[in-house]
Amino acid sequence: MQKVNKNVVLALLTLTSLVFLLFQLYYYKFYLSQKNGAVFSKVRGSQSGQGSTRWHVVRKFLGLISSHNIPVYLIDPLILGLVDKDIEQIRSSSDGPSPECKYFCVPRDFTTFALQDKTWKHEVELFRTAEKMGFQWLKVLNKDPRLDGMDDLSGTEIPLHYIFKLSSHAIHLVVFYERSGNYLWHGPLRLKQHMDRKFVPFRKLHFGRYPGAYEKPELLLVSIDDLKVQIPKNPSSFLEEMSHSRFLECRYREARAFFQLYPDDASVDAVEFRKRAKSLLHLAALTLNNLGVKFWLSSGTCLGWYRQCNVIPYSKDVDLGIFIRDYKADIIPAFQKAGLPLKHKFGKVEDSLELSFQGKDDVKLDIFFFYEEDDHIWNGGTQAKSGKKFKYLFPKFTLCWTEFVELKVHVPCETLQYVEANYGPDWKVPVKMWDWKSSPSNVQFNGVWPVDEWDDVIQIY
Amino acid sequence: MDEWKPSPVVKPHKKRSWYLAWKYKLMNQRALRKLCQTGAVLFLLVTVIVNIKLILDTRRAAYEEEEESAQDYDDEMLNVEVARHPVSNKKVLDVEVYSSRSKVYVAVDGTTVLEDEAREQGRGIHVIVLNQATGHVMAKRVFDTYSPHEDEAMVLFLNMVARGRILIFTIKDEGSFHLKDTAKNVLKSLGSQVAPFLSWRDMWTFVGKKGGEVYGEKHAKSPALSTWGDPVLLKTEVHLTSVEDAECHWPDTELNRRRRRFCSKVEGYGSVCSCKDPTPIEFNPDPLKDNKVFDVPVAVIAGNRPNYLYRMLRSLLSAQGVNPQMITVFIDGYYEEPMDVVELFGLSGIQHTPISIKNARVSQHYKASLTATFNLFPDAKFAVVLEEDLDISVDFFSFLSQSIHLLEEDESLYCISAWNDQGYEHTAEDPSLLYRVETMPGLGWVLRKSLYKDELEPKWPTPEKLWDWDMWMRMPEQRKGRECIIPDISRSYHFGIVGLNMNGYFHEAYFKKHKFNTVPNVQLKNVESLRKDAYETEIHRLLGEAEVLDHSKNPCEDSFVPDTEGKVYVMFIKMEQEADFTTWTQLAKCLHIWDLDVRGNHKGLWRLFRKKNHFLVVGVPASPYSSKKPSSVTPIYMEPPAKEEGAVAVPAVAAAEQT
Repeated sequence: MQKVNKNVVLALLTLTSLVFLLFQLYYYKFYLSQKNGAVFSKVRGSQSGQGSTRWHVVRKFLGLISSHNIPVYLIDPLILGLVDKDIEQIRSSSDGPSPECKYFCVPRDFTTFALQDKTWKHEVELFRTAEKMGFQWLKVLNKDPRLDGMDDLSGTEIPLHYIFKLSSHAIHLVVFYERSGNYLWHGPLRLKQHMDRKFVPFRKLHFGRYPGAYEKPELLLVSIDDLKVQIPKNPSSFLEEMSHSRFLECRYREARAFFQLYPDDASVDAVEFRKRAKSLLHLAALTLNNLGVKFWLSSGTCLGWYRQCNVIPYSKDVDLGIFIRDYKADIIPAFQKAGLPLKHKFGKVEDSLELSFQGKDDVKLDIFFFYEEDDHIWNGGTQAKSGKKFKYLFPKFTLCWTEFVELKVHVPCETLQYVEANYGPDWKVPVKMWDWKSSPSNVQFNGVWPVDEWDDVIQIY
Repeated sequence: MDEWKPSPVVKPHKKRSWYLAWKYKLMNQRALRKLCQTGAVLFLLVTVIVNIKLILDTRRAAYEEEEESAQDYDDEMLNVEVARHPVSNKKVLDVEVYSSRSKVYVAVDGTTVLEDEAREQGRGIHVIVLNQATGHVMAKRVFDTYSPHEDEAMVLFLNMVARGRILIFTIKDEGSFHLKDTAKNVLKSLGSQVAPFLSWRDMWTFVGKKGGEVYGEKHAKSPALSTWGDPVLLKTEVHLTSVEDAECHWPDTELNRRRRRFCSKVEGYGSVCSCKDPTPIEFNPDPLKDNKVFDVPVAVIAGNRPNYLYRMLRSLLSAQGVNPQMITVFIDGYYEEPMDVVELFGLSGIQHTPISIKNARVSQHYKASLTATFNLFPDAKFAVVLEEDLDISVDFFSFLSQSIHLLEEDESLYCISAWNDQGYEHTAEDPSLLYRVETMPGLGWVLRKSLYKDELEPKWPTPEKLWDWDMWMRMPEQRKGRECIIPDISRSYHFGIVGLNMNGYFHEAYFKKHKFNTVPNVQLKNVESLRKDAYETEIHRLLGEAEVLDHSKNPCEDSFVPDTEGKVYVMFIKMEQEADFTTWTQLAKCLHIWDLDVRGNHKGLWRLFRKKNHFLVVGVPASPYSSKKPSSVTPIYMEPPAKEEGAVAVPAVAAAEQT
């Protein structure tokens, strides 16, 4: 009897342990799914479980914002990349149910949406509803860059980013602001002292490392995975734009300090020149953008932006840079069509190309072409009367957007190195007497053009 | 032993059980069996323990997560409260109040909250209101009760202060000469024993709670007419109440949260903070049909006159067709109270670090504000510019909505203004009538972005120029012959009586009797006839129809215009060349309209109303309309009074229109 009893006890215990073990497995799975879906979804495929969690979160979020009439659009690079492959199909497809979850279920930590600031208003209510729906949210505020300028203004901080979190997925909502120069801007994501650094893995966010500038996108309402959502009409060009959208703010504080030291020239001539330079720059930007040629502010114009956030009134011309790989033969006719006749052409596409166009009212537009080498970038200069060649060396640089005289334009991201290479360490001191052959600190003598080539490489009109 | 077979689902266990069963059967040895049993029990126990631990762990992790997110909310709330907490924990405030001939000061807990020892300034009774829960200064006023009517203002103010607030009084120099019994009784009702007997050059300090206890009072009588009472210093303690007791119990809504925040910080705004039935801070005026100015940004230029700003924003937000999203208040300086007012109404406010002094400071503030406005609203083509001392007419936006297309299409226009310089009670009549004038009135106007960006901003006067922005804008170099559209009856009302270029006398003489439209939805008449050429046709039609007045009579007399209604009359005055305004200025003077400089003219023609008749004044021969003068009529000439210094003084005062 005793033996049987013991066996019964043993059996009971085993049973209990089994129940526990099952429970443990179940609980562990549940716990993991909350913490990090990736582990399981890899094993189980993206269709069920984790994938559908993401889809549900996106659906809930879209429901939330549509109940408040907030027009958001999808800018998630991962999903847009997938969407772009099937764009024709998505565009043409009707509203019928899609057989599988192809896009919103793919493994990822975030889904990113964009919101244009001026299209929404009542934020308090939105967050209350979000909380009721189970979302946790985070708001990132910062200074309003539109108030930055030569005047010292300070206003209420503006919302730049929102993050909505539900179970294991998060929605990153980037707020875009319209700025002078007809473009959209989003701010950097910077956490304040008191913020929860572990709210989401911030490092993995696709937007917010730097501020960015974008064209106003054309939107398209599509149905993806049975969810109606707005996307940029041309996802691939949006993704391309995104890859080099970094934006630099002008250094207004330093510019104010500069004008403290060297008061601005407010004479009629200076005002008039600035006005002309501005309209010439606008015209040049329009022409080059239409051709799809990427350009940046160079030389004196770049210095003016960097040092004083304005056109240098005594600079007498507008200087642009273009990589020689972006050169197009249509550039000259396009400018002529825009009312800017060619003034001179130095060099050739293979070497030291430089174009000058005659703007209205005696303002010249100089376009320098830049040649990339392994460890540096250079552009060339030519002295018309002697056929001497000069070379201006710059450290390698990439291009960033900025705003200058109400225009969204490129400048070298590494502006300080660029300006220092060109103007030396004393670039902060205004110099009115400037000789392009000897004054720049990065100039090198580069030989003389062979006389038989002169007709080709030195053209003056 | 068959029941021993475990479920085949759980693999690891199965193996082990099989093994156990097999061993058990095979060996059937007691010791070994025992060992196996113990081992199994141990294994099971370990499983149980591990399980329990896991459950506990995950529970805790989940709980922590919840807590972390909850902290986020707390943080935002904390930001708001932070400033008040340290103070509210303290129960007692030490208050020091000093009153003397040449200096007053008030210190709360060792912090000086008022100090005035400037000469020839700050005479009268200084009043400070403290929050009874936090001890924060909510209002600071000085009433010069040596002068008449100031005591009435003080009574008004004291009546507005909420019950329970702590009031501190102190006299500088003299505060009793025009302190009437009504005011003395109010002070008495606050618990002052001395107030009813305050007399010439007495020094006095008093600290009390409105509708409650008295914390202290000190008084020094003046021994003789020619001398002042001895300085008095009152030191006392004030017991703070709890925050809940100091606040009203309004329902918890978004609006009331703003109200609560405002009312715990400042005093002196009347019923907006009353616990029972407070005045609304959201107005929801009727929207305008086909509102063309809904997306036009509105810049409110403000300084440190929060009470004015409060009144201004109330009227602005009550105007039909207003779009609060487009309003930005630009405050010249880091003043807190104007910002509080802006936040009360849920608008956005921007503070500007002051540059330069006096008129140049205003001018720089204007520039910064306009630049920022067009930066904040980059696709706006216009901006409405308002000032903090204006009432806005209920049909202000309706007026602009009907006329703004002219500014877009007619290059010869400089601005649209809501203000008619010559539109006084007795000279303006028709709310649907518009004029074209060569002067820029300001005081509520619309600026075209292209005008600002291409012309004005690049050459805006620099700080060291010390220029008035509006005088500068009126200069021919800027205006370039362009004109402004104005209504006959103004859509704004200038109520400010303290300001940079403003005082009570000036306001009384030139602004108080200004006509202000209160009729909603006025349909403007003949808007298209305001275009450059159409307007000339209109004027010629009007002159053709006008009856020539009897030029032998005195134009200043009432009888100059017959007792009719709705007729059009014309008179001709002498005007040798374009800039000869001698007669006009004299006429304006006797008609009691704006005479400090020339306003409201269009090619030597002025249009106004007299006795409900349209009254045209043509300057002959400078005006192109002189041809309408019958040859029998001699233009009237009025001589300026022969006063040398008067002539010099005029330009100086003329600058004093804007504040």
